Amino acid sequence: MRSDDVLLCHVLVIGSGGAGVRAAIEASQYGETLLVSKTIAGKGGCTTMAEGGYNAVLRESDSCDVHFEDTMKGGAYLNDNELVQILVKEAPERMNDLLRWGAVFDVTTECEVAQRPFGGQRFPRTCYAGDRTGHEMMMTLVDRLDSTGVGVHNEITIIDLLKDGDTVCGAAALDRKGELVLIKADSTVVATGGGTKVYDISTNSSSGTGDGYAIGYRAGAELIDMEQIQFHPTGAVYPYDARGRLVTEAVRGEGGVLKNSLGERFMSAYDPERMELSTRDVVARAIATEILEGKGTPHGGVYLDVTHLPRSQIEARLPVMLEQFLKFGVDIRTEPMEVAPTAHHIMGGLRITPQCETTIPGLYACGEVTGGVHGANRLGGNALADTQVFGKRAGEAAGKAGTRQVCIDNAQVDTIRSTLDNYLKGDTNPSHVIRSLQTAMWEGAGIFRTAPDLEKALGIISHLSTIRLKAASPENLAECCIVRNMLLTASLIVRGALLRKESRGAHVRKDVTQAWDPSSSPYRHTYLSESREGIEKEVRE
Amino acid sequence: MKEFTVRVFRFDPEYDEKPHFQTYSVQVSEGARVLHVLHAIHDEHDPTLSYRYCCASGQCGSCAVRVNGEPVLACMEEARDGMTVEPLDLPVTKDLVVDLEPYIASLHPLVPAPEFRMPTPGEVEELKPLRSCIECLACVSACPALKVIDFAGPTAMRQELRLQLDPRDQQDRVTEAVGEGLFTCTSCQACWKVCPKDIQIPGKAIEKLRALANKKGLTLPRHQDVAKLVKDTGRSVVRTETTFLEVLEPYGEVKGTVGFFVGCMYNLRLPQTALDAMEVLRRNGIRVIIPKEQVCCGSPLIRTGQIDFLDTIKRRNIDAFVFRNIDTVLTMCAGCGSTLKHDYKTPFKIMDINEVLTKYGIEPPARLPLKATYHDPCHLLRGQGIKIQPRELITQVVDLIEMPAICCGSGGGVKSGVPDEAAALGEKRREEINRTGADIVISSCPFCEYHIREHTDKPVKNVTTLLLEGYREKDRRAKEQKSC
Repeated sequence: MRSDDVLLCHVLVIGSGGAGVRAAIEASQYGETLLVSKTIAGKGGCTTMAEGGYNAVLRESDSCDVHFEDTMKGGAYLNDNELVQILVKEAPERMNDLLRWGAVFDVTTECEVAQRPFGGQRFPRTCYAGDRTGHEMMMTLVDRLDSTGVGVHNEITIIDLLKDGDTVCGAAALDRKGELVLIKADSTVVATGGGTKVYDISTNSSSGTGDGYAIGYRAGAELIDMEQIQFHPTGAVYPYDARGRLVTEAVRGEGGVLKNSLGERFMSAYDPERMELSTRDVVARAIATEILEGKGTPHGGVYLDVTHLPRSQIEARLPVMLEQFLKFGVDIRTEPMEVAPTAHHIMGGLRITPQCETTIPGLYACGEVTGGVHGANRLGGNALADTQVFGKRAGEAAGKAGTRQVCIDNAQVDTIRSTLDNYLKGDTNPSHVIRSLQTAMWEGAGIFRTAPDLEKALGIISHLSTIRLKAASPENLAECCIVRNMLLTASLIVRGALLRKESRGAHVRKDVTQAWDPSSSPYRHTYLSESREGIEKEVRE
Repeated sequence: MKEFTVRVFRFDPEYDEKPHFQTYSVQVSEGARVLHVLHAIHDEHDPTLSYRYCCASGQCGSCAVRVNGEPVLACMEEARDGMTVEPLDLPVTKDLVVDLEPYIASLHPLVPAPEFRMPTPGEVEELKPLRSCIECLACVSACPALKVIDFAGPTAMRQELRLQLDPRDQQDRVTEAVGEGLFTCTSCQACWKVCPKDIQIPGKAIEKLRALANKKGLTLPRHQDVAKLVKDTGRSVVRTETTFLEVLEPYGEVKGTVGFFVGCMYNLRLPQTALDAMEVLRRNGIRVIIPKEQVCCGSPLIRTGQIDFLDTIKRRNIDAFVFRNIDTVLTMCAGCGSTLKHDYKTPFKIMDINEVLTKYGIEPPARLPLKATYHDPCHLLRGQGIKIQPRELITQVVDLIEMPAICCGSGGGVKSGVPDEAAALGEKRREEINRTGADIVISSCPFCEYHIREHTDKPVKNVTTLLLEGYREKDRRAKEQKSC
């Protein structure tokens, strides 16, 4: 490898969703910054698909303390206090950045950003741009990115972090043709988003394959609470090949009601106070239970109904939902939707400090790939805020970090090359491995879990990991690397789920009976790294 | 599960001399989208097929392809057996993947003004429809103008208006848009019709920018001449032929009565075509009233952004028909028809002549031994959704050979304002016409007929003229039989 084959920069940002682009914008103030995306910046990731909104305290009658309490309670008190304090305090400031850069949010007659109620919150603090809030943010962020000096490399897939001793010094990537690209950086920011594509039914875009968890883990970083998977209560069930597609919480925020096949508004049996606007873990379990008890719809969901709302409200506030369902033959103004839970968000992830440092030098992380902000259940509207608050912090910390005298380790590069060569000589279609994995995860590590089911899933993952993946051409090498990452991410989820012998937030262990509620749990984070794993005990005064 | 057989465009510029199509049979579930068919090919048949996708829910704009020639989002369009899937009409990277980046990079970002002001609810409402663009570039693929002239393209114009209307942006986007070819749009509406977000770029962005350009004195001189003519004479063209205006009774039983909105072109330039149409209407039982007070519909003003005295013109036209208690107004100019249907609020119904004749049904004409091709006028096909009716009429007289429906270049003020572009698009029509091997070209719009005549050596005729020729031949044969 000649030195001129290596891209050099001060900050390397991996990922082009809300967190990655925000980090790159910030980092560019401190030095040469590269943003590498496996899709096209602005199109990839899940931010652009986020429909509902962005939580921020903007009114006198609301307060950061209430937002903090809502977030902690919603997260079953597994969240990191300090990270949540930062989230609620800085979300309004980051919203102002977006507004200054041209974001077009809905506004009130007083020209203030409009807000709507979302689940698990005592104040309607979810800011929105119709039901395409994330798209509006991405358009704004990419606009801003264009005005900075950030070098954007699209359709380049990062396959591993590079290390010099204990320090991360950049990353190895594959371009569209399957050529190896090496990038050397003083600081590297992982902003690769989530990974619920490891499940059969998921809301995630093609990029939600958990690459960040996997490359971070392989590089030696520690991850926490990987068992905490948010199943969004409302995913589409038809057409079958598009199952799992997100039906935004805004539908319920605007007044949509859930009914089973008997026409019963069943949430009254699960959370009579908050009804449809209970937290996502509660609503998802309620829907799953109704379906398991045989009260599901013909396509295997429950009904989500907005037909009682004025047509104009549906058209103005839920235009994307209206358009999507019309395409699939359902006019939501006159007919109910059919919905069922779908794997949506990973609350766990890389352990970070308030400065977004991971547990290894040179590596920073922000957005969904991190753990600790959302605890055991994320509130709707907190993820978009998370991307901006911690995206900025990661970019700033990575940018401010000094230059490092680091070298690319040739032995590591040789290992990467030989892994790639083996894929060209493999024998199994990676698409088939993905399908087996997704089924195993949905069956073994879904909404309701038991140790035997989790062990069985882990066994399947271990077996799948021994299969020799085949790259049909060099262009298919990235697919093989991604499948390897999906397998590793899935195993981290299952290992975390086995470590947490309690039900908490989104994680439900049906085989464990416990005498505590979340606020008095004896446990804190589960943790996993190449060198250790376990569950932290709560230290109470 | 069901099985679909599909044709897919394959091309690797590095190894292939030219593209080819490959046919695959795949299994997909009920309701599957085009994207799921591509997944099935990739997962089960050929992992080397390249295609781009990301959100799979119509929100990121990564997966636009052409299905049977029409740009669509692969993730939203329902798959059909026998479909052909091709890349967008943009530089192909490989197979169905096109190079989106240069175009997306060319869209202007917002440049924040020093003073920050939140947009008002009114401004937000204006901005929102312009913001829903997902940059899939279906519109860029479909735009005929940017293939023949320097034009930044439909969504670039949308972005310019989005910036112009935002109080937070500090630059003059109108002048910028003029420099990027604002006046080269022919208003063919192709961009709107393929937009997955239904953004009406010609009407809601380009015409608004042109109106703003007009306020800055940036309207093209030729367009200003037209506006002056309408203001002075009520008409957008100078009379070159004697006009006709009266009440026409049908020959036999009266099946219906319509008011005829003649339009400047048929009134003053191509009156013979209009007279042919009147003859066809009379022969088919339609009573026609032609109010003398009617003036230009205003389309040449709206399309070029010169809307100062538009309301007066609209009032005059509406009154002309209302005072005669007319409940159905017939248009035979596609541009007038589209304008009356979309830019007016009329107390009467507007019907194109093709709609009227197919609604009431026509006396069968004689068949002529000719092969014809039909040019879809943009303002009829996309502007009014009229596709089947003219074909129903034409095929009663002659055999029809189809050609792709692409703008001829005569609309949107381009023929007067940017004649080189109009000519280039006209020449592209010549190629398509020749490819069909037809003897004659039929259309149903005075602008198209007038313009295409300059770009083909085949006769160009209106649908109604063709029908009339069928009737004349029928009468001749009947007379011949009688004399035998």
